[in-house]
Amino acid sequence: MEQQILILNGSPRAPISNSKAYAEQFMENCGSMAVYDTITAQNHEALYAKMEQFSDVLLVFPLYVDSLPTPVLSFLKEWEAHLPNKRPIISVMINCGFLEYAQNDVAIEMVKLFCKRNGFPFGSSLQIGSGEAILNTPFRFLVNKEIKKLAKAIINKQYRSQKVTMPLPTSLFVKASTKYWIAYGEKNGVSEAAMRTMDIEET
Amino acid sequence: MRLILSDIDLKYDALQLKDTNFIDLSSLQIKNCMGCFGCWTKTPGKCVIRDDAVKVYPLIAACEQLVYITHVVYGGYDVIMKRMLERTIPIQQAFLRVLDGETHHVQRKVALKDALIIAYGADGSQERAVFEKLIARNAKNMNFKQYRIRFCEEAALEETLRKELDAWNNRS
Repeated sequence: MEQQILILNGSPRAPISNSKAYAEQFMENCGSMAVYDTITAQNHEALYAKMEQFSDVLLVFPLYVDSLPTPVLSFLKEWEAHLPNKRPIISVMINCGFLEYAQNDVAIEMVKLFCKRNGFPFGSSLQIGSGEAILNTPFRFLVNKEIKKLAKAIINKQYRSQKVTMPLPTSLFVKASTKYWIAYGEKNGVSEAAMRTMDIEET
Repeated sequence: MRLILSDIDLKYDALQLKDTNFIDLSSLQIKNCMGCFGCWTKTPGKCVIRDDAVKVYPLIAACEQLVYITHVVYGGYDVIMKRMLERTIPIQQAFLRVLDGETHHVQRKVALKDALIIAYGADGSQERAVFEKLIARNAKNMNFKQYRIRFCEEAALEETLRKELDAWNNRS
């Protein structure tokens, strides 16, 4: 089967990221049609060359300060200086820790602007809310279902905009999230009270 | 305290401003956030990367008047400013709260801010519109009481900054 899709993980902590878990789920639905790689500070040029072999690129990354994480931003900026003759179709799978997937809207619009400016067709997008947590909950099937649809859409070149989050009331999500972070701190020997400090180191 | 964060060196001394910290981010050594959550779950309120960013984020937290001077790319901050803003995560907690019906992180000791964003290099109305949406989102996560955005060309930065600060001084 032809390799069609290059998945690029732009998470700053790519090897242990939720983005990697989402990318792996995507690959389970693509078989040998997709190839996975990560964006690092050192491999931009190699990735630009590699992308020439693919009709589709799927950028997978987390929301950082309401927009693209710096590694993705740097990668896109530098790509402008290495534009290929044949432009792949760019799709995005983005996750944020907030319940509301719409908090990812601006990041999607930024990628669309990059595409428009540089002549890349924009393909599909999947916005994941509660992305830090959903894979470890019974709602995992919801995101898996959307990732399956995303894979199908890209393979069939029937691009679409998708969204998913945990179907919880906001207050319940906040409670569950609090429990998650307390457990996270405890693993490091840090108490809830310490995590809740209002103090910030001084200059 | 007023803080001006700029991604470009300006003839700042000529403005002769009092009680103002001016930081040229382009002159600092700041690494990318690693997304390690250390500042939330290991050393709360303190970044584990000990570079120049640790001198900046406490000032961002403390200031009541905040100015960003940033180049715009794809409707967002360019790399220098974005890298610094990602390193401000220690001023928030891991825990979430509900603000305007949405989930957002709890702020630590972060002063409410009047913010001014001077954005240069935005290419057309579409890019400006995306940038405006970004700042509206940032306002919720950065404790902005109010903010305004001024778009200009790079050549007009100093003049724009001077005018905006004069207007700010006249109001307060």
